[in-house]
Amino acid sequence: MNSQRLETSRLFTRFGFGPRPGEYAQALIDGVSTTRSKVLTVPTVDAGAASVVKPEITDLGKRPEPNTKEIVPFAIAMRFQTQQMIMWWLDRMALSDNGLTEKMTWFWHGHWATSIQKLNYPLPMYKQNETLRTHCLGNFASMTKAMLNDGALQFWLDGQDSTVKAPNENLGRELMELFTLGVGRYTEDDVKSISRVLTGYQVNRNNGTVTINQNRRDKNPVNLLGTTAVFTGDSLADFLVARDDSAKFVSERLWYRFISSTEDMPATFSAKNAFATRDISAAVAAMANDSAMRDEKYAMVKSPVEWFIGACRALELTPSQLKTPNQLTNYLEKLGQVPFSPPNVGGWPAGEAWLSSATAQYRIAFATWLIKQSDLRGLKEIKPASRVLKSADWLGVAEWSPRTQSALRSSVNDPSQFALLALCSPEYIVSA
Amino acid sequence: MDTVTRRKFLKLTTGAVAVGAAAPLLSIDQIAQAAIDRPLPAGTPILVVVTLYGGNDGLNTVVPYTDPIYYSSRPEISYKPDQVLPLDAELALNPAMKGMKALWDQKKVAIVRGVGYPNPDHSHFSSMAKWQTASPAKHINTGWLGRWIDSQSEDPMLAISLGSVLPPLLAGAKRSGSALPLGGLVIPKGSLATECLQLSKVSKKDSKLMAAAATSMRNLFSVSGNVQPVLKAPAPVAPDLPTTNGGNAGGDSNLAQQLDVVAKLIAAGSPTKVWSVSLGGFDTHANEANAQAALLGVVSDSLSRFMGQLKATTRSNDVTIMVYSEFGRRVVGNGSQGTDHGTSGPMFMIGNAVKGGFYGEQPSLKNLYKNDLAVTTDFRDVYATVIEKVLKSPIEPTLGKWSGRINFL
Repeated sequence: MNSQRLETSRLFTRFGFGPRPGEYAQALIDGVSTTRSKVLTVPTVDAGAASVVKPEITDLGKRPEPNTKEIVPFAIAMRFQTQQMIMWWLDRMALSDNGLTEKMTWFWHGHWATSIQKLNYPLPMYKQNETLRTHCLGNFASMTKAMLNDGALQFWLDGQDSTVKAPNENLGRELMELFTLGVGRYTEDDVKSISRVLTGYQVNRNNGTVTINQNRRDKNPVNLLGTTAVFTGDSLADFLVARDDSAKFVSERLWYRFISSTEDMPATFSAKNAFATRDISAAVAAMANDSAMRDEKYAMVKSPVEWFIGACRALELTPSQLKTPNQLTNYLEKLGQVPFSPPNVGGWPAGEAWLSSATAQYRIAFATWLIKQSDLRGLKEIKPASRVLKSADWLGVAEWSPRTQSALRSSVNDPSQFALLALCSPEYIVSA
Repeated sequence: MDTVTRRKFLKLTTGAVAVGAAAPLLSIDQIAQAAIDRPLPAGTPILVVVTLYGGNDGLNTVVPYTDPIYYSSRPEISYKPDQVLPLDAELALNPAMKGMKALWDQKKVAIVRGVGYPNPDHSHFSSMAKWQTASPAKHINTGWLGRWIDSQSEDPMLAISLGSVLPPLLAGAKRSGSALPLGGLVIPKGSLATECLQLSKVSKKDSKLMAAAATSMRNLFSVSGNVQPVLKAPAPVAPDLPTTNGGNAGGDSNLAQQLDVVAKLIAAGSPTKVWSVSLGGFDTHANEANAQAALLGVVSDSLSRFMGQLKATTRSNDVTIMVYSEFGRRVVGNGSQGTDHGTSGPMFMIGNAVKGGFYGEQPSLKNLYKNDLAVTTDFRDVYATVIEKVLKSPIEPTLGKWSGRINFL
């Protein structure tokens, strides 16, 4: 496989959501190093992202009792705002000129995976999303502090129920296991200790405001990971994030979501050392420069949202304008991935989990629906005679296999079917 | 289609296999389309695996209702003796499990007590991975039933999971089970179908994942061609499950609906030996009592309904159901009217062929190990028994050498 095509394709699909028509071909002219720095440079103002209007997400107040007349407008408003919020984020992913900010926010959403299914209010989820975006390429310690004060995360993991009299282990365990250190890098006694530190948080569920009730806090020293101290939320975040295990863990997670979910992270992976100061952007830049980016071994399956947004960019579609948004969330749900609704606190699965016969079916139906709503400009601009090979540039695919070329060749004069086969081909579903 | 098959399907439309009261019956034509060329031979055992995601609280499922330590350990969330459904002088079922109790009375339920694995892991993900891979000591990428699938000849209908995402349980090294979503789908037809089949060929240039993508497309045609029409009937409305508690550790929420589809397909003769269904929401760190009872009610009601549906088929004696969760919960309540992650828990084996009763030792509430219940039975004892007795296969390719067995079949 041509290594420039491979690396360029990976830069577009892994550090963003795929190229718009013409971008991949231009990047091949620009060369890998220019493309890499373009991909990694977040503009001060991203015109594409700025064109997406912020949704109006409000405090819906206390949920009315069931079977009252107040519950109906409440439920309608909640559903409407939730949908607006989902569409807003999908639009940002599809329309950003530089995809890195949204890709990183998406990565962190899967990392601090919180679901609206338990919150049942859009506002705290919206605030969390903005928090993740603010810190997505910043300092990991700051992010961790912000997340400990995030109402959605606190409520999701029962933080508001955890008191000095009865610490609840849910948040403390996941903070170490899934958010900062990784499983097996602490003991069960540490779980008990950290849970005592994380007592006293109070969450206003409808607006996500977090306060600390000092009377419910355990202010005694605890022994945590070999250190005895009195911790606050902030000092706890600093303490955990400063550990070497934290650098190891975050680089493992970056590896798993950006480079390979099937192959182990080699000890030489440069993101870990680059994360020495806990600067996320440094780790991401190191990852984009790592030799693994050129190694054919590290293919990745696109998750349904990544696949869908990639298709929107190639087809020049705006998610919120698709008919209808309900139908859109329905397709995403069937593929198993709706933003703000991860299946559990571990986030979405990766790799072959997205390659079932069921998802193959839904992908075809979904792509058919999308193609109907696009003028397929990017594809139609390529003359039928060169369509088979040139369409790889349109989609940012490194290389079509002879198998796929043969399928595409029989549809060169039918752009809709051609686009459908291309979007559902193994080479597009999987980032080589 | 031949008349025998047609009559067989005709029977289905009138029997209990059909759908819930609210849903219309399948039309004969629709079902006739589902005629399966190679039905599972009569008498072939079938395994239905029910995964409860989130860590089901075993002590409030099979309740030690005469043990004073049970009451003193969790005063806020214990069930009183007059609420529970006694099974013997010491243990009783959760009050929500009336359907399960009726099956127990018919001697169709084996409860294996204290099931887990060495060095219990309190993480949902690690613990579920250990259960699903059957490899508690070492992280591996294949599920125990996936390895069994590897040992069989290739057939995308062999093992099917309901829902669109495949659980690791059914992932093998060479092949995996198929996933079957609930509800209807559009399958490509005409020239598109031809080209999709072309795309589903594995190319020499494919990476492992691209080959898997191609295979998933190929399986789509073989699975859907056989079972799709059966699924066309609207599924019954999903039970109204609580979403405010214990909702953050995975699993699907529509067990009854999943089991309806399984019942229909078993009745239709689908050549499937393993089915996988799931229910999520058992991570009850807070306000446990109502949430867990509602979920156990769903498990109990949908399984007894499923057993009822099977009665109307010729396969009611062939089906064995296995119910498990990734861990039980802490003995002592946590003060949020909930419990934190624990260790061992009970497994349920259900079927006409099952020898009803208790197996394995009930973990003591007095002699806890680091505040947690002891593991008295290794889940591999259960798996080994299932592989030999239900799947009629040697255990070694799946579990390696393993000597423990449990005599519930």
